[in-house]
Amino acid sequence: MSDKHIIDILDESRLSTLSESERAVVEQHAEGCSECRSALAAAYLSTALLRERAANSFTPSPFFATRVLATLRKRQSSREFWGLARMWRAAGALVSAMAVTVVTLAVVTFVVPANETGIDQDLVTAYSADEVILGQSELPDEVNYGQVWNTLYGGDEEIAK
Amino acid sequence: MRRYSPRVFRVASRFFRQRSIVEDAAQEVFLKAFTELGSFEGRGSLEGWLTRIATNTCLNLVRSAKRRPEANVSDLSEEENSWVQGQLAAVAASQHKSTETSIVAADLAGRVLETLSPDDQLVLTMIDGEEASVKEVVEATGWSESKVKVQVFRARRRMRAAVEKLLGSKRPVANKTLESTGKR
Repeated sequence: MSDKHIIDILDESRLSTLSESERAVVEQHAEGCSECRSALAAAYLSTALLRERAANSFTPSPFFATRVLATLRKRQSSREFWGLARMWRAAGALVSAMAVTVVTLAVVTFVVPANETGIDQDLVTAYSADEVILGQSELPDEVNYGQVWNTLYGGDEEIAK
Repeated sequence: MRRYSPRVFRVASRFFRQRSIVEDAAQEVFLKAFTELGSFEGRGSLEGWLTRIATNTCLNLVRSAKRRPEANVSDLSEEENSWVQGQLAAVAASQHKSTETSIVAADLAGRVLETLSPDDQLVLTMIDGEEASVKEVVEATGWSESKVKVQVFRARRRMRAAVEKLLGSKRPVANKTLESTGKR
């Protein structure tokens, strides 16, 4: 191994897991190889830094739990508020749609003129069924039998014959 | 919460150096845990489940934080410089360090780690710092075993490069130290 650089060994395993013989070989190689020497020095320092870092962890402050619970309550109330706001928005959209429908129906019913509905007003006003059948009004002389049939059966000539 | 707080704080301390940030991260972990408590199926331990939430939450917080700074020797304070030199000498002599120097070292470690990716920071702190096993990292992160192994291999290389860069002008000290280490 002395002919081989030791950098890969340093990357593959923790320094602390190297056996005494492995460590001796690594250090022996580093003595004669400047590249590996600086790599080994950096590896030692890295390990030391990481150990110090791991040893220094923070502990919770006495009011940590209170703080978390207060934040949790705050977030929950905020979530409820936005839930209600969303519900109100949905309800508003529904009411608007209903209002539009009602207005449209009102316009169609009361504003649009009757002659735009496609019904022949002459037929309706000139000869009502009552007038034709019961003869309660004076029909004009020119009304013939065919016109009466048209009024009663919608112009079905086959039946008339 | 009081029972699991130390565990969550320990996880958050792997990622952040300032107490206030560690507390904020721990708070975020507990809020997330409360929200997702329904998804805990009870298959593993609650502590394990909480550790995974803590690890992933902290990883996301670090990822969303600003760009990583470059480690530079000129950034080192006098105390840090002396710690680096002392540490290199201590490697050879296997000396123990005082609490004060430990704090300086932990701070310096944090600064070096900040130049690495969050994933690198995590695997290095756990495996090389806390001497955790690959399996423990797998449990904490949910990554595959092979991913952890590859990650730690690459992370060691990057950490070493960062430290070498940090040593820079301290090369003679490093060389001297290694010479004495070799003689040991």
